[in-house]
Amino acid sequence: MKLTLPPRVSAAKFEQALKAFEGVVGKGWVLATDEDRDAYSDIYAPGPESEWPASAALAPASVEEVQAIVRLANEYKTPLWPTSRGKNLGYGANAPRMPGSVVLDLGRMNRILELDVGLGYCVLEPGVGFFDLYEHLQREKAPLWMSVPGNAWGSVIGNALDHGIGYTPYGLHARNLCGMEVVLPDGDLLRTGMGAMQSNHSWHLFPSSFGPDWTHMFTQSNMGVVTKAGVWLQPAPESSLLITWDIPKEEDIGWVVDTIAPLKIAGVIEQNVFIPSWLGKIVLKGQRRDFWDKPGAMPESRVQELLKEHHLGYWQVQVRMYGHEAVNVAKAEVVKKAFRQHLDTPPHEDAWKSGDPVNQYDVTLGIPSAVALQMGDWVGGRGAHMGFSPVVPANSRHVLGQLRRSRKIIAEHDVDFYASFTIGGRFATNINMLMYDRDNAQQVTNIRKLFNALITETAKAGYGEYRTHLGWMDPVNETYDFNHHAQRRLNEKVKDALDPNGILAPGKQGVWPAAYRGKAVERGA
Amino acid sequence: MMKHVLLVGLLAASIGSLAAPPSSELAKAPPGGPPPPPPYQMRAPLPPGDRLAGGKDGAVLFSNRCGACHLAGGMGTNLLTKQRMAAGESPESGLLANRKDLTQTYVKAIVRHGKLAMPRLTRVEVTDAELDSIGKYLGKAGP
Repeated sequence: MKLTLPPRVSAAKFEQALKAFEGVVGKGWVLATDEDRDAYSDIYAPGPESEWPASAALAPASVEEVQAIVRLANEYKTPLWPTSRGKNLGYGANAPRMPGSVVLDLGRMNRILELDVGLGYCVLEPGVGFFDLYEHLQREKAPLWMSVPGNAWGSVIGNALDHGIGYTPYGLHARNLCGMEVVLPDGDLLRTGMGAMQSNHSWHLFPSSFGPDWTHMFTQSNMGVVTKAGVWLQPAPESSLLITWDIPKEEDIGWVVDTIAPLKIAGVIEQNVFIPSWLGKIVLKGQRRDFWDKPGAMPESRVQELLKEHHLGYWQVQVRMYGHEAVNVAKAEVVKKAFRQHLDTPPHEDAWKSGDPVNQYDVTLGIPSAVALQMGDWVGGRGAHMGFSPVVPANSRHVLGQLRRSRKIIAEHDVDFYASFTIGGRFATNINMLMYDRDNAQQVTNIRKLFNALITETAKAGYGEYRTHLGWMDPVNETYDFNHHAQRRLNEKVKDALDPNGILAPGKQGVWPAAYRGKAVERGA
Repeated sequence: MMKHVLLVGLLAASIGSLAAPPSSELAKAPPGGPPPPPPYQMRAPLPPGDRLAGGKDGAVLFSNRCGACHLAGGMGTNLLTKQRMAAGESPESGLLANRKDLTQTYVKAIVRHGKLAMPRLTRVEVTDAELDSIGKYLGKAGP
């Protein structure tokens, strides 16, 4: 990809900035060739990758180098786009929101700084991936489990900072963060929570602090660069019990949610319960053309045939219990009894105990895998996906309403329907996977229209997305509109106070610094 | 190697659902049913030292840098196994480490430019020096 300069930075000034950055990280870690720019673009971009072009990337190895880079960025007015490992696939990967931003790739900061088996936490740098931490726990024989997202190729901290979700009792990843170290936009260094006190022993243990706690100000945020964080880990259970139901009909999701959510809120079910629709299963059995070879969405009649042929329910529910065997069995009885009110078929039961082999694809056991990305193969070619991710209250009224609304809009755009609901407590996240072939211009245009329609109609009905692709950060930000966008106004005030030069991740989540506010051309797509 | 061949041979039928076969069934392949997926494959640790310097062990680097997808049961292995079998090749050739037909140049090009589901990797994920070693390890058909 050819060089796109940052807005208001001349070619000469940009060259000087790169030279200055080389002085910090060394020549080998300033990456500014056309090939490098390609590698820092969105591999699933809905449209040309040049819509979200990076100008270069820098790879610091220490917090001191991050501080030095941030100070130089202020001097040269070069915007920085921090990424931990850059695997935010479906949401923009490692590409920046504003054209010409310099990616601050924290992948080399990959040390596991601390592991406390007794209190169940670790302290990580942002470059530590789920695979790295998993293998470290195995090698140390630490009796601790992680929670992993569906695609676990990325960073533990990066995923938590972007409000990622997993499927164990520790599945709300941002909540596992406790005590962070942050480089502020002027290069100053902050420690949040109890870490605000020099050498405080409870930094990664006490989730609040004395005085306002700023920790979550730095999640989904452009207010600072997180350089380390405490991450809580689950004590490895002595046993576990998995109960699985295939749920026959689409509308059954209503009673399923009404059954699971109260048990989750009451603590009988501890994990986040993932409920994928049938396509989530069949996508791994073959490509779309193996099941339906015509363009346009697969008709309902064919869907019903496939469910029969492959013995699938419309949904699948898996509930996993963790802990002492007798407690697991007792809890499972409570869940099974609740399900019997609606479904005669008994669930498949599968007991596991410490020392048994583990299935490398089982995310409910906290095993990292990238195998979920195989769904990209569904449409063939350079298959890609975007995730439309609204949050709804965890009851049948809201879940069925959301299902019908998104189903209708997706059908109107003639796209296959693949949704999941994850019950995280009082809420459910509804991920709609919209799959397309990047080389099919018509499909790309259609997916973009569909995405716009989903955001607008869902917001009108009173629901918002918790996460979105780079290209839709502004539209989704726009939907958070209480009191003439009071939240945006607060974000902008804070942003301008902390980052007067607007150098940190301009446009992240639709939060623009004063320098680029209202400047449509500079802001890009 | 025998173990690899076996695992990959089993894979084609078992490329799992995300709601994968229960863990307790891993040890015993059910008669007639799909075989269990291979267990988690531990990657080799990243060799210490300057990542920009050459001369490191390509097999170790491949395991560490590419292993998240290209060991037994990984996403890349699963997709390649499917492709290879469709092309009339053996299922075990889905594991890149088993391939005899790759050149170093080809390996490097795919890592830097991507191919279908394989994304491009940055020079932070795999440095040029590391890629040279990996290319030599995988590129059994020559430069």
